[in-house]
Amino acid sequence: MEVVLYSIDGCPFCEKARAFLASKDIAFQEISAPQGSQAWEEMKNLTGSGTVPQVLIGGHAIGGYADLVDLELTGKLQEALGLKQAQPAPQLYDVIILGAGPAGLSAAIYTIRKLLKTLIISADVGGQIAWTSDVENYLGFSQVNAAELVSKFESHVKRFDVEKIIGSEVSAVDLIGRSKRVTTSDGKTYWGKTLIIATGGRHRPLNIPGEKELLAKGLTYCSTCDAPLFAGAEVAVVGGGNSALGAVVDLINIATRITLISLTPLTGDPIYREKVVKSEKVEIFTGYQPTRVLGETMVEGLEFKSLATGEIKTVAVEGVFVEIGIQPNTSLFLDILTTNDKGEILVDTQCRTGVAGVFACGDVTNVPFKQVVVAVGEGAKAALSAYNYLMSQK
Amino acid sequence: MAKKVKIFTAPTCGYCAQAKAYFTEKGIAFEAFDVTSDAEAMQEMRKISGGARSVPVIAVGEEVIVGFDRSAVEKALEGA
Repeated sequence: MEVVLYSIDGCPFCEKARAFLASKDIAFQEISAPQGSQAWEEMKNLTGSGTVPQVLIGGHAIGGYADLVDLELTGKLQEALGLKQAQPAPQLYDVIILGAGPAGLSAAIYTIRKLLKTLIISADVGGQIAWTSDVENYLGFSQVNAAELVSKFESHVKRFDVEKIIGSEVSAVDLIGRSKRVTTSDGKTYWGKTLIIATGGRHRPLNIPGEKELLAKGLTYCSTCDAPLFAGAEVAVVGGGNSALGAVVDLINIATRITLISLTPLTGDPIYREKVVKSEKVEIFTGYQPTRVLGETMVEGLEFKSLATGEIKTVAVEGVFVEIGIQPNTSLFLDILTTNDKGEILVDTQCRTGVAGVFACGDVTNVPFKQVVVAVGEGAKAALSAYNYLMSQK
Repeated sequence: MAKKVKIFTAPTCGYCAQAKAYFTEKGIAFEAFDVTSDAEAMQEMRKISGGARSVPVIAVGEEVIVGFDRSAVEKALEGA
């Protein structure tokens, strides 16, 4: 199929169209069409448009660069070229987004609408919202089930035919070169001109004996998921913030007795604190630190220690709910990117990390207030910054 | 013959919803059990998983996966 590109010198989108065709190994004839020239008249006749670039495939007017990329995005380019759907060769993405929580998915919407070739790599979809039951503070949704919100985010992104690799862990990144390399744990390698880190956070562990061994055997980091499995049981909750108090509030209606253990005085919202303190089912130990999860094949109890006196107590429980906050997923980037004392990646107001072409957004960054709406906004910013960066590189 | 898929879930669990959506999207038939309202299912889940008290638990044939670990699920489905 014959491909013709009408262009002029010094037109950035002509340059992009040329590079795009070359990157796909598509042979094309380029015709210079300065305004008023004979070629320009010819182009106008064939395409109905007087602006460059104009692309014709097999005599059919495709449009400009954006239309060309659109064809590619919708998977119709191969068809237009009269080729069978071939296995795509390893290619350089404009943007690789690590993470598919609110920040990563929002970034993807913006990069794809900027016609950037985008790849998302993530172990899961939704990030921390998947641990929540209802979201009540996301604009436009007075109350929405968290799983439903995630699936709305996901289907919004799906409309654009973004490439996604879900279920893969990233094992290494190389951020220093002009192209950024991402390696997944199955040994595959992906290249991006830019990288957006939206890897979010995960539950902070207690790091005490018995914790790993008894994970999912009574010990859980997702009280929203697992609280209903402890009907009629005695349980312990560790933590003093909103997540911990929220877990206690959920458990008041489910468990028979709840031991709440916190290093610090309770800090959660007053509405939660009041419910927790008032409940006869809840016994509160502040100024205590868990030291060991007890049990062989399942959780049988929790040992904890007074910070003031060193006195050790134990409580017999079937469940331990650990809700002591979030730690950022930054282990892959620590040697290259600057982080704060919480391990969060430092970014400027445009989500730049200090390494050219590498951006970060959402809960993995030092931007305060870990909220869905904040992550979504930051994702958009990171995407637009990546776009500006790519434009400045031309 | 396709391996039998069972998903043990709780109503508030986002990962359970994602796991169900995953199998639905792949066109793989599965049976879902709400262990918070089905004591028998709870017993079965704990028995096959070596005592898990956390959802989702996903059984693909003889393979039992605690949590929605996509790559583990995909591995279990291979050769199904």
